Amino acid sequence: MDRDRGIDKYLPLRRVEFHILLSLAAGERHGYGVIQDIEARDETSVPDVGTMYRALARMVESGLIEAAARASASDTGDERRNYYRITSKGLRVARAEARRLEALMRAARVGGLLPKEVE
Amino acid sequence: MKWPRMLHMSERWFRLLERLYPPDFRDEMGSALVEAYMDRARDALKNGGKIHLVTLWFRAPLDSLRNGLAERVHPAASWRRTGNWGRDIQVVRRRLVRAPVFAITTIATLTIGLGMFAVVYTAVKKILIDPMPYKNPADLYYVWRDYIPITDLKRGALAGTDITELQKKNSVIERAAGLQAFLGGIFSLREGDDPMEIAVTRTSPNLFDLLGIAPALGRGFAPDEVGPGREQVMVLTYHLWTRLGADPGIVGRDVRLQGRPFTVIGVLPKEFTFVRNDAAAPPQRVDAFIPFAVNLAETSPQQGTYVGIIRARRGTSPDVVAAAVGAVGRTVDARDFSSRGLKLYPVGLKADVISRIRPALVSLGAAGLVLLSMLVLNLASMLLARAAQREHEVAVSRALGANAIAIVRSTLLEGGLLGLVGGTFGALAAIWGTSALVALAPLDLPRREAISTDWGIAATVVAVGGLAAVLAATLPAAWAARTSLSSLLASSAVRGGGAQSRWRRGMVVAQVALSLVLLSSGALVVRSFQRLLRADPGFQADGVFTVRLRTPPEFFPKERDVIAFHDSVQNALARIPGVTGASATSALPLTATASQEVITIPGAPGNTGDAERDKVLTDIIGIRANYVEVMDMRLLAGRTFTEYRQNGVAEAIVDSAIARHFFPQGDAVGVSIPLGERSLRIVGVVDQARLYDVHANGRPQILVRPEDFGFRPLFFVMRTTRKPHSLLPDVRSAVRHIDPRVPVSDARTMEDIVEASLSPQSIGAALLSAFAVGALLLVAMGLSGVVSGSVTRRRHELAVRLALGADHSRVLRLVLKEGALLVMMGLSIGAPGIYISGRLIRGLLVAVSPSDPVTLLAAAASLLLVTMAACYVPARRTLGIKPAQLLRQE
Repeated sequence: MDRDRGIDKYLPLRRVEFHILLSLAAGERHGYGVIQDIEARDETSVPDVGTMYRALARMVESGLIEAAARASASDTGDERRNYYRITSKGLRVARAEARRLEALMRAARVGGLLPKEVE
Repeated sequence: MKWPRMLHMSERWFRLLERLYPPDFRDEMGSALVEAYMDRARDALKNGGKIHLVTLWFRAPLDSLRNGLAERVHPAASWRRTGNWGRDIQVVRRRLVRAPVFAITTIATLTIGLGMFAVVYTAVKKILIDPMPYKNPADLYYVWRDYIPITDLKRGALAGTDITELQKKNSVIERAAGLQAFLGGIFSLREGDDPMEIAVTRTSPNLFDLLGIAPALGRGFAPDEVGPGREQVMVLTYHLWTRLGADPGIVGRDVRLQGRPFTVIGVLPKEFTFVRNDAAAPPQRVDAFIPFAVNLAETSPQQGTYVGIIRARRGTSPDVVAAAVGAVGRTVDARDFSSRGLKLYPVGLKADVISRIRPALVSLGAAGLVLLSMLVLNLASMLLARAAQREHEVAVSRALGANAIAIVRSTLLEGGLLGLVGGTFGALAAIWGTSALVALAPLDLPRREAISTDWGIAATVVAVGGLAAVLAATLPAAWAARTSLSSLLASSAVRGGGAQSRWRRGMVVAQVALSLVLLSSGALVVRSFQRLLRADPGFQADGVFTVRLRTPPEFFPKERDVIAFHDSVQNALARIPGVTGASATSALPLTATASQEVITIPGAPGNTGDAERDKVLTDIIGIRANYVEVMDMRLLAGRTFTEYRQNGVAEAIVDSAIARHFFPQGDAVGVSIPLGERSLRIVGVVDQARLYDVHANGRPQILVRPEDFGFRPLFFVMRTTRKPHSLLPDVRSAVRHIDPRVPVSDARTMEDIVEASLSPQSIGAALLSAFAVGALLLVAMGLSGVVSGSVTRRRHELAVRLALGADHSRVLRLVLKEGALLVMMGLSIGAPGIYISGRLIRGLLVAVSPSDPVTLLAAAASLLLVTMAACYVPARRTLGIKPAQLLRQE
């Protein structure tokens, strides 16, 4: 747990940030790719492009993600796109956030806000 | 509309919106952002058709606006959080550290220049600008009598009756108070204590109310504590109170003044320092106040003995006050002077106090501004040279896409940083410089105690430094912003450095012009000061020591006792080892303290018959035997006063002005002249020992014996072969031996007195010449920079010339000619400035015309000499050019 000291200061993550980490945990993406992932997650509100890219810039700065060395995808293989991957710190932060959310869910169930049994 | 066309339009729209983001975010993310939008646009078309795309068009600006603004306010990256400024400051600092010589010279120049500016600014602000420490000081005025149609006195003291008249109900004048010009006092805390002399002023009881000052301890005077036969009360200044040991229990105590008991009723606050007005006598700090022992309304209307102060109703304009005072004056004129034309006029309290030092300060202030503008030009020139060195770097970074704003910003920052550092050091230097100025300044520099650099001034100097430097940096910044790769390529062929070198030349010309103005002003003031130093005041000051002894009637009720005391003191002083002669006078030279009398000599051969012309306002000065010899004055005819006094005959010595006026044939000696009810026999004629100015005769003088006129406080003078101040203990013990009640005060050398009378000029001369030297240094630096830059630039051309057979001296001349041309241009532009500055410093000049040709030519010549030397040093580098080697390199 020692290594996770300092992780707490990133928590709670903004919604868009958690989405980014979630997407990148699955592999490298560019910004629009992440947006598409979010759309695919049936999220009610999809972040705007500007919001997405600001979040990316911020997370690069804080070391949660990093720019990928190569432009990986070859389909619309356009060099103008920036690709990102998650860092180990980003992974730890994402996990911590997931645990935090899980704990909240549990508390919500205990408190009767949600049905007790897992569907 | 076709899809590709719509996509194309979309892209242009998104690119436009991209601009809403800050530049560094765009650098990093811009393309990806646009591409993401394009992806969105394509998806929108594919999934929902045009409607979706148009919806996106409307959503995108909202998104961009929100996030663009947010990004500007709170940038994502940490270094961006300190702003680009932060990064630039780091870069600039590194750049300056890498060029230590440049940084140090610039900061040193700025420190010296801004330090000088700060000293002058401090003096100007504290003396000219800051209000005096009274309540609503703008409403306070001195009132003077203007006797001009009656006699030659423009600024005379008021009579007590004038003050009563001013105190009468008036819609403009709220309050009026009188101050007796001066009253020295022998003071002791208890009877039998060691006496000390203090400066006491008698005043109307309402003085403190009028000034708006409440005592720090005790109370002020009650309105009825005035007039004859009242209880004797005294208010001490803070200064005297601390000298007495700062005992808060002093209020209510009895102290002795001239041996008589006075009750201390109050102590004034620390910030209250009242200085005697110099119209009455040289300014002197007042130690204690006592109320008038007379009823002002019962004093003689003819006798001008009081300084009048009034407070006008809040916010009354000076014109209205002048009219109100003038009206009172007409009443006084009609009542007491049978309408012969006496006038009363007000002068603002501050204007009056600073009138003597004002011309010096105004000139200094102007000189400070000129120096500051030279500093700006110099810094601009240096920064421009530096920017030119970086020309290559700038052009390349521009070509690589650095925007103009970034370059401008870093150049401005460089200047601003230098300016702030220089300003800070300058403010520190000013703290030292100001204390040096105050130490140099004589006691009577108006409001001397108020002069010191405070935080506000320091902050102003730092800000002025920063602003001046930023101003200086705008030119190089503008130039750097215009530099592009193509302009660099175009100019590198000839290495002409085009615009920037033209600008630098222009700045050098301007600097030469400004420094000519400063230098000529400095030279004129110094020359005038030299003349003053060499002026013959009518006596020899070196080796003369003076003290003042008071003989108040309380201690010496009979005139006979006074004379006996003075005789024994004079004898005792003359016997002190190392003293070659001792005497005494009622008014020391250059102290402007004599009393005046209008004299007429009926039947004198010089009378014209015109009654006005045959009346002469003279200074009456008492001198004891041997005074003319001790002071080394010039006896022109007859003899001086001797120890032997013939009974019943009052002797007089007149000065050459009276002798010439009344006895043009030179037969003054032996004639009897009337003075008041008495008759004086003229025994000798002397050149006057000047009473007012070192360089010019004052009023005509009549010297009389104090024994005949009962002058009581006398200044004893001793000529000595020792160091004058070393006499003081001997003088003290001699006087104590004769009468222990009489304190020895005001110990000064005549040289101190001469120096004090020259103080406005000496301060002006010292500061202005420092400015002139500073200006000379600045212009030399600027010029040498330009010439050295030109040598570097023209290396190739010069090498070719050398290779083709021109000898070194010829090439050297070529380079020097370039510098000389700039100097000559500057001189001719600066010449009219001399005229303007001459008008400004006229008030500082004595015995020198502002257009004195010798001085001005000398100033121009020395400027030429220094600037040519400044050209020669870098130009000599041409001698080091080895044509073959250089051409091969190129």
